[in-house]
Amino acid sequence: MRIFVLLFISSAGFLFSCNNKTESSGSVNKYNDDVLKSVIANTDSLKTFDFVNARVEAIKNALQQPTPVLLCGDSLNSNQKLAQQIAVRDSTFTRSIRDIGSNTPFRTEIFGVYPARESDLSNLKEKINLSDCYRVEMYNYPLNLTTVALVDIKRQKIIATFTQQQTQPEIPLHLKNLAIKIAINSPEVQEAYGIKPSEKDALMASTKTSLNRTRCERSHHLCVAPTFVKDGKALWAIVDLTEHKLVGVRWTNVGTTGPAAPMITERRLQDDKVTACFCEKETPLEKDGWKMNYMLTSSDGLRIAQVSFNGKPILQSAKLVDWHVSYSGTDGFGYSDAVGCPYFSQAAVIAFEPPKIMMIKDEGGNFTGFALEQAFRSEQWPTPCNYNYRQRFEFYKDGRFRVSAASIGRGCGNDGTYRPVFRIAFAAEQNNFAEWSGTNWNNWPLEKWQSQNAATVYAESKYQYQLSDNTGNGFFMQPGNGKFGDGGRGDNAFVYVTQTKPTVDEGEAELVTIGPCCNTDYHQGPEKFIEPSPDNIQNKKLVVWYVAQLKNDDTKGREYCWAESVLENGVYVTKAYPCFAGPMFVPINLKK
Amino acid sequence: MKLKLHTNAGIILFIACCLLPILHSSCKEEVVDFDANNCKRNPPFIQTMGFDAKSSFFSTSDIKTMGLLLLQSEQPGNPNARITKSFQHPSWKKGGWLAPILIDDAGNIFTSPAPFINILDNPIANNNTIYRVDAGTGEMQEFLRLPFEDSINSQNPYGIIGMVYLCETGTLYVSSVAGSRLHEENGHIYAIDVKSKKIIDQINHIDAMGMGISYAAGKRQLFFGTGRNSDVQSVTLNAAGKYSGKPEVVFTLQNLGSRGDDKVRRIRSGPSGNLAVSGIEFNFNLVAPREKQETVYEFVYDEESQKWVFQKPR
Repeated sequence: MRIFVLLFISSAGFLFSCNNKTESSGSVNKYNDDVLKSVIANTDSLKTFDFVNARVEAIKNALQQPTPVLLCGDSLNSNQKLAQQIAVRDSTFTRSIRDIGSNTPFRTEIFGVYPARESDLSNLKEKINLSDCYRVEMYNYPLNLTTVALVDIKRQKIIATFTQQQTQPEIPLHLKNLAIKIAINSPEVQEAYGIKPSEKDALMASTKTSLNRTRCERSHHLCVAPTFVKDGKALWAIVDLTEHKLVGVRWTNVGTTGPAAPMITERRLQDDKVTACFCEKETPLEKDGWKMNYMLTSSDGLRIAQVSFNGKPILQSAKLVDWHVSYSGTDGFGYSDAVGCPYFSQAAVIAFEPPKIMMIKDEGGNFTGFALEQAFRSEQWPTPCNYNYRQRFEFYKDGRFRVSAASIGRGCGNDGTYRPVFRIAFAAEQNNFAEWSGTNWNNWPLEKWQSQNAATVYAESKYQYQLSDNTGNGFFMQPGNGKFGDGGRGDNAFVYVTQTKPTVDEGEAELVTIGPCCNTDYHQGPEKFIEPSPDNIQNKKLVVWYVAQLKNDDTKGREYCWAESVLENGVYVTKAYPCFAGPMFVPINLKK
Repeated sequence: MKLKLHTNAGIILFIACCLLPILHSSCKEEVVDFDANNCKRNPPFIQTMGFDAKSSFFSTSDIKTMGLLLLQSEQPGNPNARITKSFQHPSWKKGGWLAPILIDDAGNIFTSPAPFINILDNPIANNNTIYRVDAGTGEMQEFLRLPFEDSINSQNPYGIIGMVYLCETGTLYVSSVAGSRLHEENGHIYAIDVKSKKIIDQINHIDAMGMGISYAAGKRQLFFGTGRNSDVQSVTLNAAGKYSGKPEVVFTLQNLGSRGDDKVRRIRSGPSGNLAVSGIEFNFNLVAPREKQETVYEFVYDEESQKWVFQKPR
């Protein structure tokens, strides 16, 4: 079984922000500095701290025990310890500590043992001596579930048990301290705060530092926010105590009167940042001879524009217009998903994280170029009927480039076909488009579509088309046919070529959903710019539309366009099986 | 001279504050008796089509069927119960995917378009159209096109997103966010006299979403939340169904529930005037509704403090 972790790329230089090194252009941004300077931590490279190791070992050790419950890490007196022991021996209290189907243990932990309060006993019919009773609180990380036992230590038994779904108990002191330690040792916090805050400072009331409760609505992890006050503002550092890492940081104003300030949460941090920095303005990028601007759109994914290589204009723009998803089990059932910005957009699947720039290595370990990648996700992914799409542009030092995208499932069934619709507008004013006949390159005189199939012949076993100007310069177009080394099994793509008309916008501006979910033929949307009267495309400025067709698969060992949750170390993690598709463009002069 | 001026001023003030309000609104606010504001009548066409009115309901939330549906259930109120009969009049698809359903005291159904996943079947230009299904014939026709903002844009796929009906006056309150942008709140709450099809009043620059009417605290009030934050506002309605005064924030869903930033999808007034506020995540995008968990928050009016108090999430 091969799991593509999407990281066949080596190192990553992540652009988090508007506070990166590149300059922004475009209109005045209406977000305040707190949003622009917020940081979404790099989620692809899990930060590990030495001081976390002991806790991770304790968790793993607990999961091996017959009763796989991590006992309370705070100091307890003898009565509290006794109450804890009685609780974890009780089968009712521990009935949710294992997965019912597989018996695999969940990560559970006693968060606190407290003397019972009068209110805890109010529903009990029998008379109980309050001083003999303790309240034992257990947290189940993967189910986000709190289980509470009321224990009578004198009678050595549990007198009541109840659970609270989607609820977290009071955070124990040792985890509060750990959260502060993670925060102050995270470079993002130190950079935002100006200096490394000390633990002593963090715990002193005089600094007005507090440990705010926060929410990680998307990861469904246990999160808290150590908050540091400086110069009348509060720096929220959201810390994920499930994975022991920083989620992100953001400043807020500290009000002295008026209503409570909105809680800074994982979702709010992410959505505000992505919107302010990538939806409302373009970001310039210059690297390896390539120059371009990129931004997130309302419904056309990540759009690159004004793309040039070594000073020569290559693309006017390229973007991902739609994802058409159809299910063969139910005739005509599926969705036409747009991907794009989180706020005020026509996107059904939105960007949570900023675009990432990654270095590309060849098999020999040499850096050959870079990739610009954007993830779009449904919040509940990978549960059924939720989606995760990846859009990826690759640029190589030798002038090659690839426009690609992947579905990572999971969708509404194992009978799905994904059809991403790419729009690739070339910059050259006078281009011709030709297909390989087996012996020659034959120009297409008029706008046209064609499908890639088993009978398709390829020049040099790779190239199906050629796009060139009248001097012979341009690109070979290599469709996905299982040769890009990214797990792609072939695109079976529809290719459409249309003329860029100077007076009519055929998709250069934001394009609303271009086609329905479930057409299985070439009626995917771009044909509406061809039919009924195809225009001349000889020596014209051209747009190539590319619609791959990717059939998902959940067969064990052959998963494709798929994802599933598995329990690892007591918490759910996602195994992803992306199906990458999209054409590579190879400079013709590279072959000469 | 001075005394005379004072006397005149006093008379003018008396007229302005205490006599004119008898005709209009007041310096002493109108006190109204409690009313459940529940006057909806089953559309007569249901029975002529062979449906049992007691176990039938209308739906616009079927993910496979666009438009309005009439469904008969084995167990009304249970969303998982078996549907025994369904019907869709050919005209019920003409608005594309729909959202609100509101039935008036004559059994007419009012609804409006709302995009589902994409806008293929819901062109933005049609987002401010109210449709009416005739109580007698069951045929859906365009009832009224609300004014469209000049700043219609492709970023905001929504138009009408809320409806509520004041039985006393036959007024339909319709909220529309058409034309709003991320940094521009251009929505309206229209008050429409159903009989004359006339807009009798409107509140501007407000992106209201879920709305409800309650007679709590001796006032006839329209409650609403917006798509911008978690606050719930109220505005008093006068005896003619028009707005009296400006909206005020009365409570908030902020930091409540499992998400803490819910927006108001719907407000229902209970038999004692309590408010059941349904909250969801909403960010003016087309993320599928089924991904959104809904929480119902209950608020009661505390006469002593004269404030709405949160009870508990259900």
